[in-house]
Amino acid sequence: MSDANDTGPVPFDVRPVKRRIWRRLSLVWVVPFVALAISLWAAWQSYADRGKLITISFENASGITSGETTIKYRDVTIGEVEQVEFAEGLSVVLVHARIDQTVAPFLDDDAQFWVVRPDVSVRGITGLETVLSGVFIEGNWDTQADVAQTQFTGLERPVLTRAGQRGTRVVLRADDGGSIAAGAPVLHKGIEVGYLEAPELSFNGRQVVVSAFIESPYDRRITSSTRFWDTSGFSVSFGTGGVSLNVSSLASVIEGGIAFDTVVSGGEPIRDGHRFDIFPSEETARDSLFTDPNADVLEVAVLFEQSVSGLTVGSEVRFQGIRIGEVSDLNAIVVGQAADAQVRLQATLAVEPSRLGMGPDATTEEALALLSDFVTRGLRARMVTGNILSGTLYVELVEVEDALPAIMNLTSGDFPVIPTTDSEISDVAATAEGLLARINALPVEELMDGAIDLMDSFERLANDEYTRAAPAALVTLLDESRELINSDDVQAIPGDLRSVIGDLDGLVTAATEANLVTDLDSAIATAAQVATNIEVATQNLPQITQDIEALTARANALELEALVASATESLNAIDAFLGTDDAIAFPGEANAALSTMRELLDDVREGGAVANVNAALASASEAARAVEDAVSTLPALAARANALVTQTEAVVNSYGERSRFSAETLATLRDIQEASDAISSLARAIERNPNSLLIGR
Amino acid sequence: MITARDAGLVACQQCGQVHPLGTQVCKRCEGRLQSRDVDSLQKVWAWLIAGMIAYIPANIYPMLLTSTLVERSESTIIGGVFDLVEHGSWGIAIIVFVASVMIPVGKFVAIIYLAISVQRRSRANQHERHKAYEVVEFIGRWSMIDVFVVAILSALVQLDTIATVNPGIAAVSFALSVIFTMLSAQAFDSRLIWDVARTKE
Repeated sequence: MSDANDTGPVPFDVRPVKRRIWRRLSLVWVVPFVALAISLWAAWQSYADRGKLITISFENASGITSGETTIKYRDVTIGEVEQVEFAEGLSVVLVHARIDQTVAPFLDDDAQFWVVRPDVSVRGITGLETVLSGVFIEGNWDTQADVAQTQFTGLERPVLTRAGQRGTRVVLRADDGGSIAAGAPVLHKGIEVGYLEAPELSFNGRQVVVSAFIESPYDRRITSSTRFWDTSGFSVSFGTGGVSLNVSSLASVIEGGIAFDTVVSGGEPIRDGHRFDIFPSEETARDSLFTDPNADVLEVAVLFEQSVSGLTVGSEVRFQGIRIGEVSDLNAIVVGQAADAQVRLQATLAVEPSRLGMGPDATTEEALALLSDFVTRGLRARMVTGNILSGTLYVELVEVEDALPAIMNLTSGDFPVIPTTDSEISDVAATAEGLLARINALPVEELMDGAIDLMDSFERLANDEYTRAAPAALVTLLDESRELINSDDVQAIPGDLRSVIGDLDGLVTAATEANLVTDLDSAIATAAQVATNIEVATQNLPQITQDIEALTARANALELEALVASATESLNAIDAFLGTDDAIAFPGEANAALSTMRELLDDVREGGAVANVNAALASASEAARAVEDAVSTLPALAARANALVTQTEAVVNSYGERSRFSAETLATLRDIQEASDAISSLARAIERNPNSLLIGR
Repeated sequence: MITARDAGLVACQQCGQVHPLGTQVCKRCEGRLQSRDVDSLQKVWAWLIAGMIAYIPANIYPMLLTSTLVERSESTIIGGVFDLVEHGSWGIAIIVFVASVMIPVGKFVAIIYLAISVQRRSRANQHERHKAYEVVEFIGRWSMIDVFVVAILSALVQLDTIATVNPGIAAVSFALSVIFTMLSAQAFDSRLIWDVARTKE
């Protein structure tokens, strides 16, 4: 500035300016430098922070927009899609995205990405926010930083299990996947403790396999003895307790669900990936507790010629009464060629080798060998009625003694084939029907007609005037009888009787003296000997029992119709007889007979007959007295007989198990006992009233 | 024609009081007296460069951060203009384009032209250049219209999740750029335009 004053015409001197360029530099220059510095720093910062580029491949990129679609991890935005393009050959869609530097190191090989879209299911609505904001990509990985990756393959559907989530994954197997859906709940005592993942078909295509994730700490409840069952839908069961309707949660009704429980202790802890079967109901699950569901089963086939109606999948297979497996499949197959072709019903039996008594480690090959051996010795399969009312059947393996020789067919068809024998199906309905038919066929009406005719005849007889006259004649007869009894001679009869009893007494005394009792004694000894013989004879019992049964059968076979017919005939004959004039004339003849009798009584009264009778009675009285004495020994006799019976009974009891025969023998012995009791009571009665022997009362 | 400096005088730029050459401080308003601001061109260049540096992020980074229920968008200046054009709002698009792009860029060009022409002691178009300088100084402040719009929008549209507008980094950069260029225009001593002719004569 001072220069300008001095020089005048040349205000700007070049040289001094050049010399003092640094000193003249304005302070304002700081501003652009600061601005530059800040800009550069910001640029660097944004470059350094811009995130790591990763590539995710998807089948399709529906809803993914470059620059807008974000990538989230646990609902926090960690990146953004930069570019969407096709891979070479249009095979997949490549989504390039920038991920925050802080997160990038955790994107190792366990990282999974999927597109979140709105999803409406029974259990709720998820991804609702994407309706307005558009889809986003959700990522999932654990918190362990491993070797970072930049290439990922996107999943088509969201994963249900967060990486690092604690719990146990088990593999469940079911025959039918109809009740299983991805995301369906796994329940334990009614609370949701896990969920199912997407079901898949097993390798051989026979079962549906689904992974289930059980969250910690509930997974500790699972041991090798845990059982899983299907709770989907609702079940109605009829039983003695009435109708029971079982409905689980509404979600599981629609979406399906699996429940589990561990009832028995002693199971071993399981690892991830343990396999379990899904049982169709809680009941079957609990029933199966004592078998190992994972044991291999031997599948054999049986070809039935007749209808298998009543046999269902799950029907039991029994061997000598013990359940060894179940029917796993039923279908019809064609056997033979061309004209000989026949349709047979094939039942596939799943036999558990461990149930054949071969030990827990038995293999299916060993079991097959065993069965094959049995078959050559006569093992055959047949259907047997299990429940008479419902008509359900089960398959029984029995040894048939006179079976035609056969071997197990191991080569043809899918399974080894066990030959069959005649089935034992008792058709209750048919039997009852036959019985009713026979009853129906009985000539009941003819019988009734005959009976009615008989009654008519009787009525006619009763109405006959001779018959009516009979009572009057009887009254006269009685009057005369009374007169007879009131006569002095008849009154004297008791005295005479007494003397007769006295005579009898003497007679018995004489008998006693003649060792009658000793003879009885020996007779009883003989009876004991007989009992011993019976004991020996019982060894031949089965034969006897069979004979009896045969006899019974024959008796059963007697023709009832013929019997009824002959009864009807005889009734008809009686009827005819009553209808004859002779029968009608009978009352008259009876009257005549009564008159004759009256005359006879008159004769008796007039003659000395009564006096004779009195004398006879007196001697009878003596005889009765003798009997009285003899009878006094009878109680002792009865007691001995009793003892004999008891002894025999004991023998029979000790003979062994209470077979039908021994029961019958016992009954017989009881009859004997009753008889001896009757004898003793008779004896007592005679003792009390010896006269009864004579009077007959 | 004689200049004040030729007459040995210096005028106060604040109040117009004339002093003898060499006086440092205005007697009336105590403002600094300078016959010519010798650092003028330096300051012009410095502020201009700073303004241009600031103008770069103002265009790269988003001006507005708009988040609505449906979407979240960031728009840069040029991007906003294109958006408006796409929506058919030609008028607003032109206003935004003129205020945010044409004027700042025009200012840069004008100031560079002025500074270079003074440095080269060009004698051409002295009147036009002076007029251009007047226009630049006047119009510069209007560039702030964009910043004000952003400021007002950000203040008014704060409806939480439904719609929110926030200023982006570009808003600050752009404001700085405008301020720097205004300072640059002000630092320019228009008397230098005429000194060439003066010295030539």
